[in-house]
This record gives sequence, C-alpha cells and structure tokens, in this order.
Amino acid sequence: MAQASGYFKTSYGQELRLIETTTQKVALAAFVVVLLVYPFFAKPFFLDLANQVFLAVIAASALMLLTGFAGQISLGHAGLLAAGAFTTGILYKEVGAPFWVTLPASAVVGALLGLVFGLPSLRLKGLYLAVTTLALHFIVAYAGGEYETKRGYSTGVSVSPPSLFGFELTQGRHWYFVLLAFDVLVVLFCLNLVRSRTGRSFIAIRDHDTVAEALGIPVKRTKLLAFVISSVLTTLTGSLLAYYQGFVTIQAFTIYLTIEYVAMVIIGGSGSMLGAILGAVFVVLFPHVIEAAIRLVPASRHLVNDAFAINFAAFGLIMVLFLIFEPLGLVGIWRRLRDYFLLWPFRQTAVGKGG
Amino acid sequence: MQVLANLVVLTAIYALISCGYVLIYRVSRVLNLAHGELMMLGAYLLFTLASLFKGGPELAFAGAVGLSLLVGFVLYVVLMRKMTGELVIAAVLVTIALGILLRGLMVLIWTARDLHPISVLGWKNPPVPLGGGTSISSVALATILVAVVLYLALMLFFRYTRWGLQMRAVGERPLLAAQRGIKLHAVYALAWALSTFSGGLAGMLLALDSGLGSTMVIVGLKAFPAALVGGLDSLLGAVVGSFIVAAAEILAIHFIDPLISDVVPFVVLIAMLLVRPWGLFGTKEEIERV
Amino acid sequence: MTESPPMLRLEKVEVVYKKVITAIQGVSLDVQQGQIVVFLGTNGAGKTTTLRAISGFIGTDDAWVTEGRILFEGQDIANWPPQKVANRGIALVPEREKIFETLTVMDNLEASVGAGASRATRKRMIDTVFDHFPRLATAKTRLAGYLSGGERQMLAIGSALLCEPRLLLVDEMSMGLAPRLVEELLDHIVTLKKTLGLTILLVEQSAHLALGIADYGYVIENGRIVLDGTRERLGGHKDVQEFYLGQGGGDARKSYREVKQYRRSRRWYG
Ligand SMILES: Nc1ncnc2c1ncn2[C@@H]1O[C@H](COP(=O)(O)OP(=O)(O)O)[C@@H](O)[C@H]1O
Ligand SMILES: [Mg+2]
Repeated sequence: MAQASGYFKTSYGQELRLIETTTQKVALAAFVVVLLVYPFFAKPFFLDLANQVFLAVIAASALMLLTGFAGQISLGHAGLLAAGAFTTGILYKEVGAPFWVTLPASAVVGALLGLVFGLPSLRLKGLYLAVTTLALHFIVAYAGGEYETKRGYSTGVSVSPPSLFGFELTQGRHWYFVLLAFDVLVVLFCLNLVRSRTGRSFIAIRDHDTVAEALGIPVKRTKLLAFVISSVLTTLTGSLLAYYQGFVTIQAFTIYLTIEYVAMVIIGGSGSMLGAILGAVFVVLFPHVIEAAIRLVPASRHLVNDAFAINFAAFGLIMVLFLIFEPLGLVGIWRRLRDYFLLWPFRQTAVGKGG
Repeated sequence: MQVLANLVVLTAIYALISCGYVLIYRVSRVLNLAHGELMMLGAYLLFTLASLFKGGPELAFAGAVGLSLLVGFVLYVVLMRKMTGELVIAAVLVTIALGILLRGLMVLIWTARDLHPISVLGWKNPPVPLGGGTSISSVALATILVAVVLYLALMLFFRYTRWGLQMRAVGERPLLAAQRGIKLHAVYALAWALSTFSGGLAGMLLALDSGLGSTMVIVGLKAFPAALVGGLDSLLGAVVGSFIVAAAEILAIHFIDPLISDVVPFVVLIAMLLVRPWGLFGTKEEIERV
Repeated sequence: MTESPPMLRLEKVEVVYKKVITAIQGVSLDVQQGQIVVFLGTNGAGKTTTLRAISGFIGTDDAWVTEGRILFEGQDIANWPPQKVANRGIALVPEREKIFETLTVMDNLEASVGAGASRATRKRMIDTVFDHFPRLATAKTRLAGYLSGGERQMLAIGSALLCEPRLLLVDEMSMGLAPRLVEELLDHIVTLKKTLGLTILLVEQSAHLALGIADYGYVIENGRIVLDGTRERLGGHKDVQEFYLGQGGGDARKSYREVKQYRRSRRWYG
C-alpha cells in the first residue's frame, strides 16, 4: 500500500513480488487495456510503429540482460540481429524452410554465436570486450554481405510472410498481437530470470566479479550463459524482423543499429527491465518525433530533407546528455518523480549529503 | 614492388590515424571511438577554409590544422572533462555518441556529397615514379613524410619535454600526478588536442589524395585495430600494428578478395585479443584496470 | 596543548564512502606547526581515510567529508580537489601507488617539481632531495619500478618534498619494510623536520618506532579517535603499551574488544 511516508516491505515475499502495490495493479490493468484496444483504433502507420517498438523491446531486453544486469558490454548487437535475420532468410531462400524451422534455427545460431561472442569475455573485460564484440560484428556483416553478392541478391533477400494452416501473417494488426505476445513472454522471462539465482549471479559478476568468484559463483559459466541467453533472444528478434519486413539486407545492420540498442539501455536506464522497455520506445519513436517537430515548426520546414541528419545529431546529443547528466536513464527520472509524489510533502535526500 | 609501395603508404595512413587513439588512451585510458569522425571533421575544415581563402592554399591548410588542434581542446573542456572519474566505459560510450552527433552535424553543414578539397586548393597530385615501374601519388609521399615526422616529434616530445613527462606520469597514476601538482585537466586537454591534430592531419591528407566522403569514418575505424594490435598505450606499437594490419589487408586483397579488406583488420584484432590482449608493445596491467 | 593556533585542525570530521559507508566519524585532531604527530591505529581503523580527506584524495573514490571542517592555516579545505590542496602546501606520501613506476627516478622527481620553476631552480631543488637521500642520486637513471622498498619510500618522500609543502602527510611508511630500514627512514623524517622546518603527520600501525620521534600522538579505532597525548603520556598509557607496544604482560597483543579498559579509556567516557 502506498502510505504517506512511503511504501515499506514487511515480508520477504513482498521483496520477490513483481507487482507490489494496489496502485501498480490498477496502472498495469489500465495499461493492458490500452494495449489491447490500441490496434483497433490506430492508423496503419502507428500500428507499424507499435510493431517496431515491440521488436525493439525483445532485443533491448536481451541487451539489458547482458549489459545492464551481467555487466558485459557488447557492441555486436547488430551483428547478432543480422545473424538471426540471415539465418531465416537463407533457410527460406535455399530450402524454403517454414517459420517453425527458421525460428528455432535462428535461436540455435544465436546460442552458438552467443558462445563465440562470449568466449572473449572470459579473458577480457570492459573496453576490450566491447572492442572484440565490435570486431565480431564486422565479421558477421561481412559474411552476410558475401552471401548477398555471391548468390546474386545484392539488393537483399526477400522472405514471404510466415503461414500456418493456410493462415498468413500479413496484416499489421495480426502482427501486433503476435509481437505483443512475444514481448509479454520475453519480458516475463527476463523479470523472472533476474529474480532467480542465475539473475543474481549476473548482478554479482557485474558488480564484483572477483568477489563473485570467491563466493563460489561459477563466473565463466555465468558469463557465457548471459551471452547465450541474450544472443538467442537477439537472433530471434532478427528472425522476426526478417519476417515482419519481408526482406533482409545487410545494409540494415550497421554499427548505427548497435548504437541504437546501446542507447536504449543507457537512455532507458541500465539494470532495469522497465528501462529496456522505455528505452526501446524512446529510441524507436525518437526520429519520428523529431521529424514531426520539424514539420510542425513552420520556420524549419525547409529542413525536412535534412531530417535524417538532424535526427542523427539530435540522437547523439541526447545520448551524450543522458550519459553525463542522467546515468540512471528514464527509469531514474521516473523513480525520482514517483518518490517525489509518494513522499510529498517530505523531501527525500540520499544518505550522506556530500557530492 | 608496387605492392610494397602500397604497403608503405597504407602503413603510413594507419599510423597517422592510430597515433590519435594511442595519445588519448595512453593518458586517460579512454578509447575515442569518435576518432574517425574527428578525422573527417579535419578534412571538412580544410575544404571550407580552402573555399574561403582562394588565394592562399598554404594558409588554408595551416588554418585547418590549427583548428583541428582547437577542436580536441574544446571537446575535452566542454564534454569529456565531465566524464573524469566516471567508468572508462561510460566515457567510451560518450565518444560513440559524440561520433553520431558529429556525423549528423557534418551532413547538415557540408551535405553528404563527395568533395575534393585538392581541386579547391588548386594543388596537383601527380604520381611520383619510384623506379622499376612503381609509383605513388605525391600526396601519398607527403603522407609518409608527415607520418615519419609526426612520430619522431611525438617521441621526442614524450621523452624530453615537461609536458611529455607529465603526460607519461598522468597516464600511469593520475591521482598521484594530481597530488604532485600536475594539472590533470590541462594534460588531458593537451592529449585530446594532439589527438585531433594528428587525426585531422590524416583526414586532410586522405581527402587530398582520394576525396572526402563517408568512407573516411570506416578508414578511421580500421586504424583502431592497428593501434590495439601494437598495444594501445605505445606509440612504437602503433607503427608496428599499422604495418601488420596494412600487410594483412593488402595480402588479403591480393590473394583472397578485395571485398574482404574492410573486415581483415578486425580479424587480426580478434586474433590479437585472444592471444595477447594488451598488444605487442602494450603494458600488461592495462587489461586489469579496465 | 600549546595556545598558538594549530597548522592543521580537524573538527569532528566525518567521511562517508559511496554515500553509505561511514569510514571515520567525529575525528578531531590538531597538528602544531613544526611538530611530528603520529596517528596510530590498526588495519581499517580509518587512518588512510583521514589522510586522504585532508589531501583531497577521496572525491575520486566517491567519498566526501560530510561533517566537520578541515582547517589548514585557518582555511577550510574540506573536499578541495587534490591539486588545489597540493598547491596550498600539503603533500601526501600515499600508502600504495606512491611513485611512477614506468618513469626513471630522475623523471619521477622532475614530474613533481612545481610547474613554474625554471630549469635551474628545478635542478637545485632536485639536488636538495639527493642531498637528503644520497641513495637516490646513484639510482638516477633507473626505472622506479625496479627500486627496492626502501628506495621507493625515499623516492616518494623526495618527490613529495619537491611540491614544497609546509605539511607532509606520510601514510604507513613502514609497511613491508625491515625494522632497520624503518628506523633509517624515521631518522630522515626527523632530519627533514629540523632542516626544512616541516610539519609532519605520520600514520603508523605500530607505535614501536614511530612514537619515538613523535611530539604528539593520536590513536584511532573504528573511525573514532580514542586516545591522544604527548609521546610520554601515550608511551606510558596502559592500552598503548598493551596493544601498540606489545608490553602487556601475559600473551601480548590481545584483541581490543576483549578488554574493558579500552572502552573506559575512550575520550567521551571521560
Ligand atoms: N574505497 C573505499 N570504498 C569503501 N569503503 C572504504 C574504501 N576505502 C576504505 N574504506 C572503508 O574505510 C575504513 C577505513 O579504511 P582505511 O582508512 O583504509 O583504514 P586504515 O588506513 O586505517 O587501514 C575501512 O574499514 C573500509 O571499510
Ligand atoms: Mg591505511
């Protein structure tokens, strides 16, 4: 219950609960209703946006597990997405495999790549690890490009929509519910994982890997596990992306895409699943908001052709600002606002005033 | 023979670029992933100044070099300074974000067209015969000379000047250096300025030789494996690393597939990271500190 | 205590690490001009934290002085950045990482001389250090990383002197050194005090040697000052004898908490 002086946990069970207060229950119920009703009112454009957000949420959750919880920096996220998309595209093109083959196959490729991407993490930390995963990105991208040119699909590989018992997944609204279901599953999975023993080991190796080792946490196995889980979720997203867009091209998986995902983690708020969701929403919608803003302000209409560049610059700027001024991301802002209202009229100060 | 000449030229280009990574890393342990964009910015500055000073190409060139120096200084003071004391990886992420910001701004200001500063400057780039049917362009020759001079100057600077000494001290123990009265921020700012200076120089020379376009960022990124293979905190390492990466790249283009050239440096990088992550000439403890 | 205002005065200083770990609390101490003051305490008592608080070395570890004042020559220097404190006239010889190991002995010294000094001044100042520590002069061109423990300590003290401090803070000089070497170093400290008129705050774990050269001493335990006094008073104090000098009859060096006397002797219990 929310009380005037704040909300306190009175048993260990409460500590593990996902939904803590009545207010949260009500808010969540309202949110679910909105989510369910949305596709029946939204225009196709907005439906497409929602679907893109849903796709991003899965991959952002994956990166959040790896970077935000297990503390392993990866700059190979676009490479993994590409691997998933290309596994799907290649299997479809070469042997005409249906989605119930390509999707698990992508996951298997993801698991293998997770091991490959994760192996360097056993020897390297922080910066050096980031650099290795970046290098792996280039290798995956090269392999994808090779496939495209060698097989003569230099503009990309087209994939037809998944179908089951004659039902084809083409409509935006159908996609909406499929992806929403995926999101719910993935987010619940991640939330539970984070609360589990494994999840706590992730946090332990993020915060103090030497201490974790001393406590008997199998650091190497845990690191690899984090990479594998994250990677499987990412390649699955890549596979879904291939179907959703009906088209796979290596041009779509640039370093910039990786940076967008890293930005989702940073802007959303590292170390929080809510952060992954908020970050995904923010980053996917950002360019559209910028473009709308340019169109709205009459004086800047002539800039519409430069929208792409403006978007780039603004995105870089936002990332810089978050990194410097709000390392806790949107979640940090959200929590401060919430505490402010919960504790009002009392002012909340951290322990120890210094700094 | 021609292959050998190309190898030397490519080594010089990578060496010029990678020394910018080394300068910043050695002093502050930050990997500046916006280096490619900063190189490009130097080249664009040259283009703009060349258009402004139609009469004096030398003046334009000197001005652009000076501005590059200033860019690094300003970047440190207004941006990277805020990241001192934060996790190194956070600072690296800031440089990534900075790269995106710069790229957006550059497209906005100079559009995405390919530009040719050399024609604006009114300079020529005739091939220089080296005998035996081999030749390299004049700008390529200049690049080699500039790289040699720059490295010699930097080595002397580190060895014999007070600023160089302070940079070495700060690179090893920033806290102790601060306690001994060394101005950390001044030293870091100098490192950034020198880094953008050398990077800008590399960008300008590249633009003079082969025009100015978005591929320059890729070249900048490819020079970073060169720095790492040699050891991120060693200037000598940067030269050797540049040679190794350039050699691998040229061999791969020759014997495997020209398309592979963009990925070869990163393959070399991974191989190095697995065998000897601190690089050929790097300090071993560096890895533990990240 | 003398009546003249002290050179350094800590008033009820509290330092909190990372906003949660309170390392020292209510620490008050005075260092009189021209004295050698020793600061005794076991591992983790908060000695290093106190020195780092004075020298401004804590902010980088996300630790801050949250209460009290640190007055140096009348000015509050709490939470100043390290470089500013150094310029103000306080030099620290840290516990660890006290020299630049990848630099030669000469370069270590060169790097520590104040920025504005001319070449001649620099040479003169470095020569003074060599006068104090002739052993360093013979090792000029060696990499500091290859020096022996004693030489490292000398180099660290020598480099600190080049900042021309009025107050020198030395953290656990004796750590890992043979007692003979520690005696030699302490002799150097006394000489420095005499020839340069330096004021010195010396942190040590064992009172054995340090108390011998001190004018005044403080004992810190669990982040609080529990005892202070002149060398004579401390040397004669039962607790100090028992815990720091190992002279308490029976089995020497018991744990403090086993003894009730320790509680009673706390300042705030009278
Ligand atoms: N970097 C740090 N982060 C958090 N706590 C610290 C840190 N350094 C010291 N402490 C805390 O401060 C206390 C005092 O440490 P310290 O001043 O180093 O003791 P001493 O030098 O007397 O051995 C320790 O018990 C430790 O818990
Ligand atoms: Mg200590």
